[in-house]
Amino acid sequence: MSIKVENLTHIYSKDTPFEKIALNNISFEIKDNDFVAIIGHTGSGKSTLIQHLNGLVKPDSGKIYIDGEDITEKGCNLTKIRGKVGIVFQYPEYQLFEETVYKDIAYGPSNLGYSEKEIDSIIYDVIKIVGLKEEVLSKSPFELSGGQKRRVAIAGVLAMNPKILILDEPTAGLDPKGRDEILSQIKRIHEDKNITVIIVSHSMEDVAKLAKSVLVMSDGSLLMHDDVKNVFKDDKFLQSIGLNVPQISLVVSRLKEKGIDLGDDIYTLDACEKAIINYLKGVKK
Amino acid sequence: MIKDITLGQFFPIDSPIHKMDPRVKILATIIYIFAVFFAKGYAGYIVVALFTYVIILMSKVPLKLILKSLKPLVFLVIFTSLLNIFMTDGKIVTLFNIPLKLGFLKITYEGLSIAVKMALRLIFLVAGTSLLTFTTSPIVLTDGIESLLSPFNKIGLPSHELAMMMSIAIRFIPTLIEETDKIMKAQKARGADFESGNLIKRVKALVPILVPLFISSFRRADELAVAMEARCYKGGKGRTRLRELKLSNIDFKASLYMLLFVLSIVVTNIFVKV
Repeated sequence: MSIKVENLTHIYSKDTPFEKIALNNISFEIKDNDFVAIIGHTGSGKSTLIQHLNGLVKPDSGKIYIDGEDITEKGCNLTKIRGKVGIVFQYPEYQLFEETVYKDIAYGPSNLGYSEKEIDSIIYDVIKIVGLKEEVLSKSPFELSGGQKRRVAIAGVLAMNPKILILDEPTAGLDPKGRDEILSQIKRIHEDKNITVIIVSHSMEDVAKLAKSVLVMSDGSLLMHDDVKNVFKDDKFLQSIGLNVPQISLVVSRLKEKGIDLGDDIYTLDACEKAIINYLKGVKK
Repeated sequence: MIKDITLGQFFPIDSPIHKMDPRVKILATIIYIFAVFFAKGYAGYIVVALFTYVIILMSKVPLKLILKSLKPLVFLVIFTSLLNIFMTDGKIVTLFNIPLKLGFLKITYEGLSIAVKMALRLIFLVAGTSLLTFTTSPIVLTDGIESLLSPFNKIGLPSHELAMMMSIAIRFIPTLIEETDKIMKAQKARGADFESGNLIKRVKALVPILVPLFISSFRRADELAVAMEARCYKGGKGRTRLRELKLSNIDFKASLYMLLFVLSIVVTNIFVKV
């Protein structure tokens, strides 16, 4: 499932003193089965952008094609699009409302018209993916811990069987263990189900670990759309727009300044370790 | 859609109306409301219309915005007008020599006249009073209310607490609207449909919005109470304020204009019989 965005512009509170350009003439294309990270400072338009991708917000101008279908067109069946493009919002646990976890996860697929039997098998499927035990299904979502609630919310979106999964800061407010678990589950969903994943994140480490390509946004404009290694090459540029590079990239670039060149495309701990070992071996010889 | 609610939205610009003391503004609004009801004939309504137009111009709030705040009123105006047109007794209107009467429904001259006056009255009321909230920030407004209510402290009215409750309520309207918007989007992303189906289906569709909204409101209230206590809030007793309300030249001028306005309505009521 591919996404194509052409000259997308969105203006909040048009024609009032509060007018603000949230998205400024953005164009990009996301290929099938990609893992994309969107990074940008607070208020750079990331959340507005992802809300366009399943028709929750209408652009002021521009086109959005999901799988070749223009979703900005008037007669477009948005419920169908929302089944294809699942969005997990920031703090998704605040959207839970049903008496039991089971019913809450069933909300999405039943809106899409799945039969009860299908929904039942989907639910047992998705709670396994997000790492929840079957016992929680009969519990009220409000009895669960924060991390569990978030899994339930993610499961609720996964249950709609999306081909594109968009997550807005899925790890915000979780402890380190919860973060790692959620992230590795997202990675597994991407790999096992061949889903295109788009993730909005402030953590450059997470982006380096997971993403294949990166969209860099600043003040409503798209500044960069490239592979992870190319984006993290330029730490000065990212810092100038209020972002940063992963700590490993910083280490590598500082070493380069001191005359130790490990190579350009190192941004994860494992790669760095290998490069340093290789370098030291070379020095010994 | 949900962000289009304009009633009670402060419009931050600089104008003589914005500079007025909130107490004077509130009292002036109350007088204005009485005056609108007091005006009898069409002549009186013309005076009210002129006055309303002039203060809107003075406030520099775009007329478009005021008209937008009248939008929710359309249904009410049409409804009351129809009731008045068809249900008032009096001389029946004849069109091409046919009396307009069908069963208990009839169109009378009196009914038409009352309908027009009622519609105008409603429009003036909302236009005039929404100007108060357009030109006064909620905080200043509650300061004004607190100060106006303070004489009633002696008979046990907790004016500070009332004002605090009001300012908290007003303060959280945009937050709750934003929150509603967010929850609606989240549920729409899960395939929710709020726009189609019959009434029962639509009401049911609101549950997934209302439950999370209530829960987060309770959470917010709890957090706010703790935060206020952490900053040693103990209620109104002995509390001083950052901005003291003070009357200025503008307020005396405004009072004078209000007096003239009321007088001209009284005069038109007595002398112009239209």
